[in-house]
Amino acid sequence: MNRRMKGALAVLALAAAAVLVSAAFAGSTATPGVTKTTITIGGTFPLTGPVALYGVIPKAENAYFQYVNAHGGVNGRKIVFKVYDDQYNPANTVPLTKKLVEQDKVFAVYGSLGTAPTLATRDYLNNKGVPQVLVATGDSYWGAQWKKYPWTIGFQPDYPGESSIYGQFIAAKVPQAKIGVLIQDDAYGQNYYDGLIKGLGDAKSKIVDVEKYDATQTDVSQQVVKLKAAGANVFALFALPTQTIDALVVATKIGWKPVTFINNVSASPLFLGLAVKSGANLDGDITTDYLYDYINNPGTAPATLYKSILSTYDKGADPNDTSNLYGVASAWTMVQALKQAGSSPTRSGLMKEFTTFNHVVNPFLYPGIKLNTTPIERYPIDQQVLEHYQNGRMVPFGHIFSNAR
Amino acid sequence: MTISRSTAIGVGATLVVAAVIALLPLVLSDYDLSTGATVGVFFIAILSLNIVTGYTGQISIGQGAFMAFGGYTTAILTHNHGWNDLATLPVAALVGFAAGFVVGLPALRLHGVYLALTTFAVALAVPQIAKNYSNFTGGTEGLALPTHSGLWLYGMAWSIAGVMFVFSWLLLRGRTGRAFRAVRDSEIAASSSGIALPIYKTLSFGISAAMAAVAGSVYVLVINFVNPDVFGLSLSLYILIGVVVGGLGSLWGVIVGAAFVELLPIALTDSHISSSESVPVIFGVVVIVVMAVVPLGAADLLRRLLQFGSSNRESAKSPLGTEAR
Repeated sequence: MNRRMKGALAVLALAAAAVLVSAAFAGSTATPGVTKTTITIGGTFPLTGPVALYGVIPKAENAYFQYVNAHGGVNGRKIVFKVYDDQYNPANTVPLTKKLVEQDKVFAVYGSLGTAPTLATRDYLNNKGVPQVLVATGDSYWGAQWKKYPWTIGFQPDYPGESSIYGQFIAAKVPQAKIGVLIQDDAYGQNYYDGLIKGLGDAKSKIVDVEKYDATQTDVSQQVVKLKAAGANVFALFALPTQTIDALVVATKIGWKPVTFINNVSASPLFLGLAVKSGANLDGDITTDYLYDYINNPGTAPATLYKSILSTYDKGADPNDTSNLYGVASAWTMVQALKQAGSSPTRSGLMKEFTTFNHVVNPFLYPGIKLNTTPIERYPIDQQVLEHYQNGRMVPFGHIFSNAR
Repeated sequence: MTISRSTAIGVGATLVVAAVIALLPLVLSDYDLSTGATVGVFFIAILSLNIVTGYTGQISIGQGAFMAFGGYTTAILTHNHGWNDLATLPVAALVGFAAGFVVGLPALRLHGVYLALTTFAVALAVPQIAKNYSNFTGGTEGLALPTHSGLWLYGMAWSIAGVMFVFSWLLLRGRTGRAFRAVRDSEIAASSSGIALPIYKTLSFGISAAMAAVAGSVYVLVINFVNPDVFGLSLSLYILIGVVVGGLGSLWGVIVGAAFVELLPIALTDSHISSSESVPVIFGVVVIVVMAVVPLGAADLLRRLLQFGSSNRESAKSPLGTEAR
């Protein structure tokens, strides 16, 4: 190789790199999040990758925003919803969130999905004073740590709140309970355990055994056998979907039929269907819900609207996938806060609306469950209803519980 | 012997590139600079893979795992023990060196695809280990680190990248680099010339892993967060793509490879829901096309273009035999 070429080569390499750099950096000029005719929000979601099944959520949310836009928008403005695929990897979430804020100039980061992605971006967003609202994760951080992170707020009931309801129910309705608990051996599992203890109150002495599994472990049969051997007649099953399905199948196989509580995350029709297919007997098993029960109430106004929004603006979406209903309910809440924020919204004004929901009725939530927050109580949905498994589906029963804190 | 002309031109070109990198903050926004910092991370990571694979001929698909060692060292020392984040970098390099040395031991007996599979296993195992020891690593919920401005991150990442580049250049042009290339070109010839294969193979792995660990540390500072998903298999694959696109055994290709793997997905990404699902597909197709058109990487493409203009020299055929200086 000619020596002279080394220099020329270097210059060319540099030029090539510069072309690539400038191509990638060619951004638009500043677009404010709020213009006369539009309001721009955005979020990060796993559209591809290991948890891509949640990728339907932003599509359902977008469908609701399209529906609102078609009916005049919010205070005369159309909602522009920017969605980026972070593949559930915080290494992607962080730069994409910066892109939303600094390049797309969003008014607020809305609905971003996942605990780790949210933890990875909340320092940045709170430092910048950008609302990080209705994050799609059930961890208790968002409601509990509002003093340090006032710009972050969640949506769905948090994990300890949910398990506190099971605790309350067991303490009141299962007097002879001998409780066996199965949790993941990390902060996620600890969250559920703490809530259960709180809900049980004095009845916490009825716990006869706590078994844990490592997050990477998919076979939990040993733990289930131990819980049966410990004489438990109540099974608090607070796991991820894979382990939940395994535990339910194993319990049926070894002839153990305790009163079983399955956490909401793992109790979607999809996962329960898989458990049944693998031979699990779910009759009477209990979980919680907070979304509108459109399956048992077809033809009602919320059910009809939900289905027509999906069929018009999110073609091909399966209304029986509860993630879609979650998306529409969340988007409704976002629109409500934007409406309340008035005709010249500010970021701090938006946070004020999110922290002063006064028993707001969201039609896509279970009737009677209301959005309720105060500046020091930042759990938008803090009530749930219990459901039990009958004739192949979950059916609500009893009264509405409030999460114990 | 006086300084050769090629060396002088090489140094001059390096200074020009360095000057451009140093001046970019004048024209780029803070967001662009944090993206530029990530290009710096990939620059170090691809450089590290080039040492072990491009120059020593030992295939590694586990570079992401070595980055994880560095990233977690920085995160744990900063988050759990209150260290200054920059002070953790030398420790990360040491931890990475040790990890690389150990992983290099199988390289004494395994070759080619078998060694690749061994490093592949490491790439798969390390994130799982991090998940399991959650008391220590934060598990899937990870550890958060202090945030920095894009300018700070860019300056930090490229300063370290510059140090790594000069280090690699000095290492590879000297006695050690010659030994590495001899091992790559023919192990039998190398050992009969008195090169101790066990020492140089494990040394190459160790140095490469130490640099990868530094890249991992810089990475977690850039994204101010770490969890096992950050160092998943796709990271190792991106680095592998970067080194192949840039050109194995060429220091010049590294910057092209780094820009390619970080900036192409960004350029392809837009915020429209239905199109974002196709980004990985488009990226994959572009990689296949690049490989079909320029199998020996960007460095070789530039060389061939220049040769086409000035002489009729035949281009080299072996991906591991080109640009060995």
